[in-house]
Amino acid sequence: MSAAADDGSAVYLGCESCGLVSRDLVGDDPALVQHCPRCGHVLHGTKPFSLQRTWACVVAAAVLYVPANVLPVMETTSALQRDEHTLLGGIHELWLDGSWGLAIIVFIASIAVPVLKIAVLALLAWTAQRRPDWRRLERARLYRLIETVGHWSMLDVYVVVLLAATVRFGPLASVSAGAGLLSFAAVVVLTLLATWSFDPRLIWRDPPATPNRRDGRLA
Amino acid sequence: MGRVEDSLVVCGQCGLAHRWQPLQDASQARCTRCDAVLGRSHRLSIQGILALTVAAAAAYLIAISSPLMSLSLRGGAETATLPQAISIAWQGDQQLVAILAGITALLAPAAFIGLRLYVLVPLAAGNKPPGFAWCVRALHQAARWNMVEVFTVGVLLSLVRLAGLAETTPGPGLFALGAMTVLFASIESAGLKHLWWQVR
Repeated sequence: MSAAADDGSAVYLGCESCGLVSRDLVGDDPALVQHCPRCGHVLHGTKPFSLQRTWACVVAAAVLYVPANVLPVMETTSALQRDEHTLLGGIHELWLDGSWGLAIIVFIASIAVPVLKIAVLALLAWTAQRRPDWRRLERARLYRLIETVGHWSMLDVYVVVLLAATVRFGPLASVSAGAGLLSFAAVVVLTLLATWSFDPRLIWRDPPATPNRRDGRLA
Repeated sequence: MGRVEDSLVVCGQCGLAHRWQPLQDASQARCTRCDAVLGRSHRLSIQGILALTVAAAAAYLIAISSPLMSLSLRGGAETATLPQAISIAWQGDQQLVAILAGITALLAPAAFIGLRLYVLVPLAAGNKPPGFAWCVRALHQAARWNMVEVFTVGVLLSLVRLAGLAETTPGPGLFALGAMTVLFASIESAGLKHLWWQVR
């Protein structure tokens, strides 16, 4: 397979777009920018403002998660009554109908995945700042897990859009999106942006030489 | 310009540099530090990926133009195509949700296929298309925002949820979406960085 290349003090940067490896010429100086000599993509030792952006998106997602769960995501009208369905309410109905498999799928996609993403990203961002050498391999695996499952929380957004598009029989039966759907969609997008802003290379950064500096970087 | 290190590959997850070594068939190289996949041995040639992309383009055209499902209730029937579903969400005062669904289920897959066709057709003939570097970067973004696989499961889930309420029939669009999901997965497994090996 491939062996780790231990070449003294030289630091290498891999291009995210084309994969070409260059020597790091600018180090941590934020005023200088290095580009890939082959494809022109910007090369970073770590993504700029990675932790700030991750925290901003995680906090916003956690705040919006409240209206996403409290407000109805879907409104149904039938000949007899008008109902509002929240995320958890919809899963509860599926469970009562006997569709346990579906209830579990929707629970994983709409509840477990967003909560997991918010919790894991908060943990990763916090440990990158405060506990840099704690369980690095497990944290790297956690990051790859939320990177992989991240898309699936869009499932309920699509289901509501599709139900609203097909159940259009006026007062007899109709479905429309509720106010909570927008908050939930925003949670999904914000957690995706948070995942992409977090730089997994921060997990492997060594503890800063001057521990009294709060941002963990040398001036 | 940085000095190029041709014999090295850097782990995209943790940044550790490794020396390239040839891979055996059907094997993959993993990072020695964080265990992320560094590279896989590929069996697909440029022509092979091009063929899959053309198939995906045909499936995409069917998926957006034919009904995903139809629903009949007491004599009335409703069908929905993907663009219709998005425009109904737009009219139902859910513009932002409609934009998000439009990007992730309609535009990102179109860019995923269209940009690949633009890049692969000249590459198969041995030429580098103009704007190649930009296209590869845009393809990375298209792959990030493409959620066709989630949308396909969403259609299935809607069908099952409606089955108790009314008579539901899966449409040809749903089968095209299923085909797209499989084709996209096999196209993506080839990766994007290897496209650069063709233009050396």
